[in-house]
Amino acid sequence: MSTSVVSVKNLFVHYGENEVLHDISFEINKGTIAAIIGPNGSGKSTLFKAILGLIPYSGQIKVLKKPIKQSLKQVSYIPQYFDFDRTLPITVKEFLNLTNLTNKKVDNSVCREVHVDFLLNKKIGELSGGQLQRVLFANALMNKPEILFLDEAAAGIDVEGAKTLYELIEHVNKKHSVTIIMISHEINMVYKFADQIICLNRDLVCDGTPKQALTDEIMKKLYGENMSVKSHKHI
Amino acid sequence: MIEIFQFAFMQRALLGGLVLGFLLAILGIFVVLKRMSFYSDGIAHASLAGVALGILSNTNPLFVAIIFSGILGAIISWLERKTKIASDAIIGMFFTSGMALGVILLALKQGYQPELVSFLFGNILALQWNELYIIIVATVIMVVFLAIKYKQVALMILNSDLAHVSGINVGVYTTLLYVIIAISVVLGIKLLGIVLVSALLIVPVSTAKLFAKSLKSLTVWSVVISELTIILGLLISVKLNMPTGATIVLSGICIFFLFFIVKHFDGFFPKKQSKN
Repeated sequence: MSTSVVSVKNLFVHYGENEVLHDISFEINKGTIAAIIGPNGSGKSTLFKAILGLIPYSGQIKVLKKPIKQSLKQVSYIPQYFDFDRTLPITVKEFLNLTNLTNKKVDNSVCREVHVDFLLNKKIGELSGGQLQRVLFANALMNKPEILFLDEAAAGIDVEGAKTLYELIEHVNKKHSVTIIMISHEINMVYKFADQIICLNRDLVCDGTPKQALTDEIMKKLYGENMSVKSHKHI
Repeated sequence: MIEIFQFAFMQRALLGGLVLGFLLAILGIFVVLKRMSFYSDGIAHASLAGVALGILSNTNPLFVAIIFSGILGAIISWLERKTKIASDAIIGMFFTSGMALGVILLALKQGYQPELVSFLFGNILALQWNELYIIIVATVIMVVFLAIKYKQVALMILNSDLAHVSGINVGVYTTLLYVIIAISVVLGIKLLGIVLVSALLIVPVSTAKLFAKSLKSLTVWSVVISELTIILGLLISVKLNMPTGATIVLSGICIFFLFFIVKHFDGFFPKKQSKN
């Protein structure tokens, strides 16, 4: 029997008078690659922020069967924008050391696995978008999380870089049994790599396997009449 | 030149300057990282109200200003997190209202106040032993805290969401950083004065950034440049009988431009070969 690692029940989020999420309920099981999709402004990032305890909400959210505050040590997060002063002379090694609050040394095996070992002495301000994402990925894996949250991890990366990143996501999921929950705009990649799709447009539009969720009807409901899905073989 | 340090006032000035130079250089990294230059400047100006309260109540103005600015720092941090008012607007309001309150309070005190001028423009040569003790004790407490919680504070500055997910209480650490910067700025007004104190938070780090290759080297060089700036400024001001605060600031700016010009001569700084 599958174990639920994220449980959301009757979630409502308001920004002032504006309702951003309306009565959202779903569960994500251990070992799943779950993708949250939806048009801009559909509440994807807000859902992430609510799950991670970054904003107030009403409803019930449990992560690893506990409130998020009690399960933060088993969770890692890769933000959509890592906005920092690019002129700051901080090396990749220093950055990984900084974010690694509990351990004194950077885990070199993680660096090799994520292919950032050759970047350790480079300044993070000098990295390309793809390299920076891999560094953030290595950082997220340092504390050996049970769940990894990725907010549009492939945004701003070229197609090849995005493909590599999705392969890395799949590798981490399969090899380390890390549950992946990601926000994504790349419908084709999501179709190929995800096990569960959650479609948002303020309301929950769909929740199921890619085959169940990514139908023409749902795509039109999410993105408008001109959107359709080409059939792929899901692996 | 060295014999001048036989005088007790010069020993106090040098010791106080070196301690403050160390503290402000370390904090300057956080200030530059979080783009808080306006906050440090605002707190320095608003602390005039604390200085005025001290003068009026015949209590040590430095001590009163530390308490006043620490509370102000905590209020600014709270307002930034709990309201939708822009950070610079909140700082601007306290900057001006603190100055205004200070001016009104000082108007209540009759006669010329020489102490006030030293708080406005700094006079490290007038540093008293009790003030030096306050500076040393406060600096030790803050540096020890920053040394222990360095990772938490730096990560919070780099990305607050990432810090939250790493289990850091972002609200508490932000407030602590604001209070520490506020207290340090007030300590620094004995050295450079309300008007000039933020220079020591910004200039040494900006100079070190010109050539630092890592965060570690940025920290070391910021401290070295800050201490060099203070020693140089102190010696020049005594030798040429010029105001110490202003001389220290201009020494720092001269050092910055010296490094800036030198950096633009290719090959001056040996380029470290990447191992990869």
